[in-house]
Parts: sequence; C-alpha cells; structure tokens
Amino acid sequence: MTADPRPALMAAFPDEHALCAAARALAGRPGMDAFTPYPVEGLAETLGMRRTRLPLAMLAGGMAGAVFVYALILYSVTIAYPINVGGRGLNAWPAYLMLAFEGGILGAALAGGFGLFRANGLPQLHDPVFATPGFTFARGGGFWLLVPLGGDTADALRARLTDLGGERVEEVPQ
Amino acid sequence: MADIPERPPVMRGHPGTREISGRIASIVLKGQMPRFFWLAFLAAFLLVLVLFTTVAWLITQGVGTYGINIPVAWGTMLSNFVWWVGIGHAGTLISAVLLLFRQDWRASVNRFAEAMTLFAVAMAALFPILHLGRPWFFYWLLPLPNTHMHWPQWRSPLVWDFAAIATYGTVSLLFWYIGLVPDLAVLRDRAKNRAAQLFYGILALGWRGSAFHWARFDAVYYLLAVLATPLVVSVHSIVSLDFTYGMAPGYHSTIFPPYFVAGALYSGFAMVLTIAIPLRRLFRVEDLITKRHIDNGAKIMIAAGLIVAYGYAAEFFFAWYSGNPAERMMAWQRLVGPYAPFFWVMLACNVGVLQLLWFRRVRLWMPALFVISLLINLGMWLERYVIVVTGPSTGFLPAAWGTQSLQWVDFGVFFGTLGAFFALMFLFLRILPAITIFEVGELADERREA
Repeated sequence: MTADPRPALMAAFPDEHALCAAARALAGRPGMDAFTPYPVEGLAETLGMRRTRLPLAMLAGGMAGAVFVYALILYSVTIAYPINVGGRGLNAWPAYLMLAFEGGILGAALAGGFGLFRANGLPQLHDPVFATPGFTFARGGGFWLLVPLGGDTADALRARLTDLGGERVEEVPQ
Repeated sequence: MADIPERPPVMRGHPGTREISGRIASIVLKGQMPRFFWLAFLAAFLLVLVLFTTVAWLITQGVGTYGINIPVAWGTMLSNFVWWVGIGHAGTLISAVLLLFRQDWRASVNRFAEAMTLFAVAMAALFPILHLGRPWFFYWLLPLPNTHMHWPQWRSPLVWDFAAIATYGTVSLLFWYIGLVPDLAVLRDRAKNRAAQLFYGILALGWRGSAFHWARFDAVYYLLAVLATPLVVSVHSIVSLDFTYGMAPGYHSTIFPPYFVAGALYSGFAMVLTIAIPLRRLFRVEDLITKRHIDNGAKIMIAAGLIVAYGYAAEFFFAWYSGNPAERMMAWQRLVGPYAPFFWVMLACNVGVLQLLWFRRVRLWMPALFVISLLINLGMWLERYVIVVTGPSTGFLPAAWGTQSLQWVDFGVFFGTLGAFFALMFLFLRILPAITIFEVGELADERREA
C-alpha cells in the first residue's frame, strides 16, 4: 500500500468531540474537511475556513433590491407616467418606502439563498466522498473527517487517525 | 389528570440520533399511513373539488354571487384573506423568532409550522385575486408597462399588499427549503427504492454535511430568520393598512397594525395547536412534540389574545372618544346591529374561552385544548368578518346603509380552501419529514451529554 495513488483518507469518529479533537490535532493540513449529521460549532474554523462573505452578499442583495424598487417607482411616477393630483409631490417617499422595504428583504433573501447554494457548490449530485465505503448521511453514519495524504504515506496517516480515535478509516475513491 | 409535571421537558426519554432519524424518516419512507389518514385526505380532496366548482361559478357569474354589493363591497374574500395570512404568521414566528431567541423547543415543531405558513399564504393569495372580479387581470398589479402605459398606483396599500405577500411567500419558501435540504439528504441515504432515491437525491442537491457547508448554512439560516422577523410584522401591518387607508368608520384607526399582528399570531398559534395535537398522537411522536410545546403554544396564545382583547377595547374607546357620530353608530351597531351575533360569538371565543388557558390543567389536557384552539380559530375568523363588513355597512350616510349576506359561494370558497390547505398538509406529511431531523438529533445529543 506504500505506492497508493489515492490522495485522501476518511475516518469515522464516535461523536463530535472526538471529531473536533482529531481535527484540532491535524489542523493546518490543507484540504481537510469533515462531515457531520448536524452543524458542529467551531469545526469549520478548525479546518481552516475563513469568515464567510455570505452576510455581505445578503447586505448587498438587500440594498440592491431596495434601490431597484425605489428607482423603478421613481421612474414610473416622475418620467414614465407623472400625474399631477392637486399639486401633490410626485415623490411620495413615505408610501414608497414600504415597497422599497419589501424589495430589500426579497433581494437579501434571494442573495442569501442562492449565494448559499453557489458558495457550497450545490447542486452537485455526486462527490467522491459519497463513494467512500461506509459513508452515508443517513443518521448513524457517524462523524467523518477527511484528511488528504499530503506528504504522508497512507499507512502513516491511517495509524495517526486510528491513534486520534478514528474507529474506521477508509480511502476516498478517486 | 392526577399528576401534572411541574414543567414538561422538551423531549421525553433519551432517544439517540440514529433512532430519531429512523423514526422520522420511516414515517415518510415506509409510507404506511394509518387508514384514517387517507380517509381524511379524501375528505379534504372532496373539499378541493368544491373549491374548484365554487371558484368556477364565482368567475363565470361575478362577485355578486357571494353577497357583496354597495355599500359593503368587501366580504368574506377579504376576511378569509386576512385569516389565512394570519395563520401563516405563527409558522414564521416559530421558525424565525424562536430561532433567534435560541428556544430549543422550536426544533420539533418548526418544519410543519413552516409548511403551514406556505400553504396558508398560498390559500390567502387566492382571495384578493378572486375578489378582483376579473381575476385574469391580476397581473396588472405588477409593474409591467404595456401599450397603455399604465403603472400600478404605488401609493395604494393594495399594491403594497401584493408586494408584501409575494415577498413573504418567496422568503418563506426559501427558508423552508434551505432547512429541508439536510433532511432530504437523510431520506436520500435511507431510501430503499430507486424512485425515492432519485426524488430525494435530486431535491437534496448533493448535500453531504460538510463542515464548510454547515458553517455557511448556519450563517444564512440565521440571517434569513433575522429578515423574516421584520417581514412578518410588515406583512400583517400592510394587511391592516388596506383597511386603515379607507375612510369607512371602523377602518380608519391607528391601533390596526399592532392589533392585526397580534391577531395573526393568536389565530396562527391556534392553528398550530389544531395541527400539532392530532399529529403528535397519530404519528406517535409524543416524546418529540411534548406537552411543553403545547403548553408554550397555549401561553403565547394568552399573550397574543390579551393584546387582541385590548384592541377590541381600544376600538370601542376611540369610537366613543372621537366624538364622531358615524364612528359611534358603527360601534353601537356592532353590539346590537345585524352582525351582533357574530360579534358576541367572536367575543365569547376570543376573550371568554381564552381565559381557560390560564389554568395549567387545561393547557395540558389535550382534548380541551384542541377544542379551545378550534373555537379560537372560529373566533378569529368572525373577528375579521366583523371588521370587514360592519364598517362599510353603517357608513357616514345612513341612507346608504346595507349589509352583506353570506351565500353558499362564501362557504364553498372558504371550506374549499380549508380542504386544499389540509390536502396539502397531508401530502406534505406523506412526502417530507414533518419534524426537523437534524435539529432534533442535535438536541438529543446535547441532552444525552448533559
């Protein structure tokens, strides 16, 4: 097995604490990932994730939605179809803010939702992880840690993962 | 009812994540629904047929078929609309507001409450369109400049309403679907037959529970909750502005936005209990949806119900305090006029029956609570009806008074939407996990460690 071309191993851990401890012990290796049945706080940071920019995308989406709706209204009441009703101002902003608010919420929500799928690379119906023996996202499948070999041999990494409490270590198929 | 626990727990026993996912998923995957389930679905489906028939009649014959006429040009289409939107709001409150307050009891009720929101909003959206009289022109509310160069009247709350409901429906759907994706992945990996694997596999989008994905999921999910909270307040405030912008006595009041939002939560929680009480029993999930959930729902009803009661008092106080004879007459007509029976039944349900919920024994006694929640649903429907019709029926000009009389079309459309709502709920229970698997699993693991 020394000339193993496969670059990564996956190890199953009994619970989130063992998984987090192993992730901390191996922290700094590039390309690590973990798979859990529910969100585990701080795990992504341990694995080297930088702060997500999705909140900024949502802010931008919200601003864009609000500005777009207000600009549309302003165009329609001042340029496309101005109606003079007893000399009242055309830009009745208190009324239009209601619509701009709804537009802002919609823009932010759509930016967040679609941004989430985009940032996560979903939909992606297949991934080598799914082909790893024993891996399943059905509950009871365990807490998995994916570690690329990097400079190590598969056997060395396998021993390391077993030391860290990995109950089952599998190769990720290419 | 001899022994009542001091505070029922959020989850009974110590089920493991494997057990929970198996139980929740098997409701959907095994598909062995109890016999009455399909009988109930059949009943709901027959009501859907009633809906189609009545709507066809309404569209071909015109809006006069449901008893509206000048001066009362707003009838049950408007009251049904407000009622259904209000029911939707409780789902958003549970899924978004309780998430922000980190209330762990929301985990096992939020999924079906969100489904309730979606279906209720879908039903609500039908009514203003049917009310248009020429529903096929509903798209004129959209800013689509055509050859006539007309634009919507942006200053009108009816246009705001269209935008608010459309936004609310879209955001609710997005929030619901994002929360559903991890559970769909569980179903995908548990499904035994190819069709189910394909169906859930495609909907799950290839979710594999990566820590990076979960971190982004958490960030967006919380922010969507932050957005949904003011959204839900804005939606029902705008619904109330449909009325307050009108000059009819009884409509033109500043109490309306908070009063309507509280009423929405009140009726919404009544509907949550109406669904949750049978659901937990029929699917044997009493250990996941415990009496604590039911108890908390009943307590929120007390709070919202008292604000609604204050709203009633404020309406009468300001009718008197305004010194306006038309306002005073309208208020007086509510008590003794043609709609007085509706008003008194409404008061009995919404303020009278509500007081029973102060007693813990009542809150924890499921049959009683179920009946109370039905009565409050009824009361809240009557409230909306009374508000919609009494104002215009006794307007500023006594010579132009009139009434709206309930016709079979009113009942056909209303019960038809009830049937459509429950038919959708039944399909949802059959096809999708009604309890959030990943959140309940997380809760179970936390409790086992504690």
